[in-house]
Amino acid sequence: MKVEHGQSEIPVRHDFPGTLPPPPASKAREGRPFISLLRYNRPYLWNYIFGALIAVFFSLVGLVMPMVIRYIIDGFERGNLGHGKLVLLVSGLIVLSLVSGVARYFQRTLMIGASRKFEYDLRNDLFAHVQRLSRSFFNRTPTGEIMARATNDLNYVRDFIGPGIMGTIDTIRLPFTLAMMIYLSGRLTLVALIPMPFISLLVFTFVRISHRRSKKVQELFAVVTTEVQENLAGARVVKAHGMGDRAVAGFRENATRYMKANIRLVSFMSFAFPFIGSVIGVIMLLVTWRGGSMVIRGELDLADYTAFMIYLVMLAFPLAHLGWVLTLYQRGAVGMNRIARILGEAPGIWDGDHTDPDARVSRGHVRFEGVSFAYGTVPDSALALRDISFEAPEGAMVAIVGPTGCGKTTLVSLLAREYDPDLGRIQIDGHELRAIPLRRLRSAIGYVLQDTFIFSDTVRENLRLGRPEATDDEILAACAVAQLTEALADLPKGLDTMLGERGINLSGGQKQRLALARAILRDPRILILDDALSAVDTQTEERILDGLRGVMAGRTSFVVAHRFSTIRRADLILVMDNGAIVERGTHEELLALDGLYARMHARQLLEEALES
Amino acid sequence: MSGGYHMEDEVQQRAYDSTLMRRLLGYLRPYRTKLILALVLLLIASLVSSVSPLLVMYGVDNFLANAERSGLQQEIAKQKTPDPVQLDALAGMVSRDQRLLFLLVLLLGALIIVESGFRYAQLLIVAHVGQRTMFEMRMGLFAHLQTMSLQFLDRNPVGRLMSRVTSDIEKIQQTVVSGGVQVASDFITIFVVLAIMLSVNKELTLVAIVPVPFIFATSFIFRKFARHSFLEIRRKIAAVSASMQESISGMRVVQIFGREDANYNRFRALNADHRDEWLRQVRYFAIYFPAIEFFSSLSTSLIILYCSWNVLKLGGYVSGTASVGTFFAFISLSERLFGPIRALADRYNMLLEAMASSERVFELLDTPPDVDDRPDAVPCDHLEGAVSFENVSFRYGEGEWILKNINLHIDPGERVAIVGHTGAGKSTIINLISRFYDVQEGRILVDGVDVRKYRQRALRSRIGVVLQDVFLFSGSVEDNIRLGDAAITDEQIRAAAAYVNAAPFIERLPGGYGHKVGERGCNLSTGQRQLIAFARALAHEPDILVLDEATSSIDTETEMLIQDAINRLLDGDGRRRTCIVIAHRLSTIQHADRIVVLHHGEIHEMGTHQELLARDGLYRTLYELQYKDQLAQE
Repeated sequence: MKVEHGQSEIPVRHDFPGTLPPPPASKAREGRPFISLLRYNRPYLWNYIFGALIAVFFSLVGLVMPMVIRYIIDGFERGNLGHGKLVLLVSGLIVLSLVSGVARYFQRTLMIGASRKFEYDLRNDLFAHVQRLSRSFFNRTPTGEIMARATNDLNYVRDFIGPGIMGTIDTIRLPFTLAMMIYLSGRLTLVALIPMPFISLLVFTFVRISHRRSKKVQELFAVVTTEVQENLAGARVVKAHGMGDRAVAGFRENATRYMKANIRLVSFMSFAFPFIGSVIGVIMLLVTWRGGSMVIRGELDLADYTAFMIYLVMLAFPLAHLGWVLTLYQRGAVGMNRIARILGEAPGIWDGDHTDPDARVSRGHVRFEGVSFAYGTVPDSALALRDISFEAPEGAMVAIVGPTGCGKTTLVSLLAREYDPDLGRIQIDGHELRAIPLRRLRSAIGYVLQDTFIFSDTVRENLRLGRPEATDDEILAACAVAQLTEALADLPKGLDTMLGERGINLSGGQKQRLALARAILRDPRILILDDALSAVDTQTEERILDGLRGVMAGRTSFVVAHRFSTIRRADLILVMDNGAIVERGTHEELLALDGLYARMHARQLLEEALES
Repeated sequence: MSGGYHMEDEVQQRAYDSTLMRRLLGYLRPYRTKLILALVLLLIASLVSSVSPLLVMYGVDNFLANAERSGLQQEIAKQKTPDPVQLDALAGMVSRDQRLLFLLVLLLGALIIVESGFRYAQLLIVAHVGQRTMFEMRMGLFAHLQTMSLQFLDRNPVGRLMSRVTSDIEKIQQTVVSGGVQVASDFITIFVVLAIMLSVNKELTLVAIVPVPFIFATSFIFRKFARHSFLEIRRKIAAVSASMQESISGMRVVQIFGREDANYNRFRALNADHRDEWLRQVRYFAIYFPAIEFFSSLSTSLIILYCSWNVLKLGGYVSGTASVGTFFAFISLSERLFGPIRALADRYNMLLEAMASSERVFELLDTPPDVDDRPDAVPCDHLEGAVSFENVSFRYGEGEWILKNINLHIDPGERVAIVGHTGAGKSTIINLISRFYDVQEGRILVDGVDVRKYRQRALRSRIGVVLQDVFLFSGSVEDNIRLGDAAITDEQIRAAAAYVNAAPFIERLPGGYGHKVGERGCNLSTGQRQLIAFARALAHEPDILVLDEATSSIDTETEMLIQDAINRLLDGDGRRRTCIVIAHRLSTIQHADRIVVLHHGEIHEMGTHQELLARDGLYRTLYELQYKDQLAQE
């Protein structure tokens, strides 16, 4: 049977093969939710086909019971029904319902199971795609937005794919049931069907109204959510201005509006459900009356009439169901569109036609030529980098200094190709940065960020993030350079200590040193330290730099720093202000220049005097 | 994320907690009468709807299966030329049966309308009560959050607190209120239907409910398996979400270190775990639902068997025991019996989820505010503006001491500038005056009264604080100045804005004071935001003004406006108020009556600008370091 198909697919845990799927010709298309869903469900086509076949079987089996009752009643009247025959018939019925129960089992596992597998596929795709997106995307998309799509929206889509489609397929029984009813009495079928268009209209109207009202509820829910979020995020202002009571009053207003919208929706539902119920009831009565009259007049057999009534009940329920399925579909379509919007995001920075498969970073010779860059589209005055040109020979140490917000971090992040420059070009070893395969480029760069991100995992896993095959000896060597050995010895379980959310918290300085060790461990051609030692004290910093000199011999390094004790070691110092390089040279040359660098240096000397 | 609790991650092992339930029910107590009314309505609706099968039974047996009439019909059908007398009698019987049937149908129609009406009224009541309870719970929680200290809010991520006020309460409403009434309704229906079945035919009732014990047994076994699986699913989806959240937050590191593949595989493993647990759950349900369906249809089959057997045994229809009508009645009654029984099993799972939600909500509600008003706290309508620090020492939690034995007296109307290094403790002083935190040692007096003796809100409403980072709420510029205080007139807002140089740029905005801010990101510059914050502080006419000058660089034009605005604020608009400024601008310092030099949490020097410069101490060094450049620029 096809159900086991799912079993064999379950892969071995913790040993997942494969790499990130290639950048997609995405299966999802925004604005075409139905096409997207079809594409994603193609692997489960057979599940649906079998599910539908079972539904047909199920409908056919369902037709038997009323006919058996008809046969029995008929038998009473003709007097040709014996006890033995009766027991046989009823046993047959029981066996049939047993068989249809088994069929139901397979239908559910096939179809609901497919929806769960589909959910898995789509979530994987979403995750994989998000990993390909560049920083510009994350700068404009809050984490919560992405999470909402991966959870809430995905659930809506899955509910449509599973229960929704199953509910739709179950309506297969309608034509069969109808055929039986026509067979029993064409005239009575007509009576039963005359109100049907009216019922459909009613259901559609109800769905439309409830959709409108629930949309309102969802909008107001967002308002309430935002208000709570702002109130908490702006807690200082709220408190400083003694706004507490007023905030509660304001919140009360919106919460009341939300409650009223909810009541409007629920009141409607409270009306709609009994109303539809009673409309169906009245139709049944209409048939009871007309059919009953026919029986009384002798135009219709009592047996036929009984079977007909049972078929009518079987017909009415899936119809009432249809409204629910429509709601599921509406929500699923909206959810799929929201997900498709993310899946449709161009990765921005990725390999493509411009990539030269032979390009590699061999020596670490870096060259910036007239590089300008802006975050988003902004007026000229807000360029983050303007006309940056410099050259860092293989093995050089380049220090970048300047006031806050002058573009130091932007400069180094362009080197790691987190963004592409708007103007000018960047070359490493004569290759255009865009030509070097992205993975290869990144693996050649050890980048220590301003903000250290620690994953909730062991110290070991955090350290060998960029080189999973690193041995403990190599890890310890890198830790020694980063002056992390002592801190490591203090950890309860050494390298196996859990960090992050469910583990212990390292101090700022320890985190920075861990991040440094992590980068060293990759053995990069180019090392970037973006203000990476700010939380480390001066003496330790000196020791780290001394150690680095040995490890990084012959490798190019870029150091964004504030301490002149660090900066003065550099072969080339770039002084930046407002996105441009304003001074460049060695420490001595720049001091002699008596410009911004010299002023900053003098100020720091004073500051140090003050601190001591 | 550190230091918080990790609720989502824990599997809620406690299935049903009676204390929690009692507490939840406590919220419903004010609506007791309404809920009782709803239950009564429900009872009537159940009774009415269960009566109709009996009427149908009566109708079928007496009108449709009228033996006398059908006998006559058969007899006439056998005759070649029908007897006119018999034909007449038949016509009479037919028209009588038809008329009675029509009346019966009308009666049934009336019952349906009555039943729907009652159901509608009952649903309406429950909806209202549910929404009201949820509203009150939400308001209570929100109001409680307003009393929580900054320390608490710093510790707990906004997202986590937010979901308590929003989605958790939503879940409680869905299950406890509507769910609770539904459970009651299910029980009522079961009993009513059983009673009616018994009143018609005891033996047949017993036959019909033969499968019931099997249903309960199946549900019991199913629940045992499904519940574990259900809890596992919760745990696993939490792991999936956490992994995703972490990956998105740490995406830079992931990409820079080329960890995409490994990361993806890790996620896939978690995702697959979650999927497989679901597939297991799907299998449980795939067994459970059809099993229950089977038992219901077993009941139908048994009813058919019993009725038919009796018809054969008694040699004909006997109403109430063996007839087509009894068929009809019992089949529809057994539908009405099994529906609620099926539903009852289902609702248990929903209850589990609601329990987890309510536990989270109550946990938050039960966290006492750590900076609280004393019971005998005094209000303050007006402050003279004298501020004294007496031997004040302070640290955040168990950290290092930020302030050490600070003694400082500020006279009403005095303008004090606080200067010092980053981390010298300047911002902490501001936090303490407004009592965002309580001091560990010493005391702070405002107008000679310990700040801990004031009502917090009253105290804060007399102190105008302007912080470095200006927080704007989504709303109009006007709303952001007024901050919901209806007592502030439009004129006052405009006057305040004009006084602090904010009016010109505000009037240039599309919509002027009605311009919406915050909604589409920050559409105002840092400088403009600060000017709005000044107007905000001024419009509330504080008795003490506390200002944390922003250090961020601002374009020259706005910078001049800001500097001018600060000086105007310090000079006061017609009245002199106490001003405490953490100063970064030379001109601000020069406007101050006194300068306090803070160094490593201690007051190092104090005096006027000239005095301090003459002293040739720390201030002079600071001055040369931070302010001399400004002098040169001017």
